Amino acid sequence: MKLEAGWVPVALSSSIETGTSAGAVVEGSEIVVWRDNSGKIHVWEDRCPHRGMRMSFGFVRGDHIACLYHGWQYDTAGQCRHIPAHPTLEVPQTIKVPTYSAEEKFGMVWATASADAKLPDIDVADLTPVRSLYIDCPQETVRAALDALGMAPLADGAGILAHNGDRLLLALQRVSPLQTALHIVILGSSDVHGGASQKHTAHWAESLRFRLENPDVAEVA
Amino acid sequence: MVEAARFTFRGRMAPESFTEFALHRAGRLDLEIRLGACDAASATLSVKGQADLVDAFEMACSLGPYDCIILDIERSGTA
Repeated sequence: MKLEAGWVPVALSSSIETGTSAGAVVEGSEIVVWRDNSGKIHVWEDRCPHRGMRMSFGFVRGDHIACLYHGWQYDTAGQCRHIPAHPTLEVPQTIKVPTYSAEEKFGMVWATASADAKLPDIDVADLTPVRSLYIDCPQETVRAALDALGMAPLADGAGILAHNGDRLLLALQRVSPLQTALHIVILGSSDVHGGASQKHTAHWAESLRFRLENPDVAEVA
Repeated sequence: MVEAARFTFRGRMAPESFTEFALHRAGRLDLEIRLGACDAASATLSVKGQADLVDAFEMACSLGPYDCIILDIERSGTA
């Protein structure tokens, strides 16, 4: 799904620590996911309006993110507030990074460019993050494999799968026509599901990726 | 400080491409812009806005879009 069409999972919440940023790609659109020092998450176009440097290479300082290249600083609305080479300049409103709506739900960061998209709702008290996995396969192939395993659909590109006594929330992000990110959390407290269950689920996901990326090997095996 | 400047960029120009580039850059830098003549050899235009941003506009246009090569820039202040 494109960012314009609805909410897209772009990272596990636990992957984006306070004061850090990371790059991601949704259907070819490069985005930066960053968390300010108050803990709020932001998803923007991953491009400084000045010289095009990736903002995901930048530095988070308080509630600003600064471009690595020339230090242009942007506030949480994407508005440039300070240009170090011109410290007295009143930065015009036109120097702004395009932003997306961002929300954290089910232990994941979701983003959209749609004004009226709604996130699915499930009754979840606790979550245990597992990992995000990048698979060199079309989203349809990954989705078909998960459906074959019995995944119950929750939303476009997301579902719940019973596995090894756990309930997994699986969310798919189409990186490109041939690459998919799979974000995985266990529905349940980390007191119960942390440790061995987390590791087991991560190994299962890596094994799934191997089978999807090497269908001939999997058939022989 | 607000400054107004008139520019003539000379070189190997793709008029449509350069004009689009100049308009985009002026918009990004919050400058008023008035386009003058633009052909395969030169483009004339005037901009007005914060002095630092007029300088930034000149720098951007000196690099130009990928299909133009700017060899010379003439700049003068305007009233």
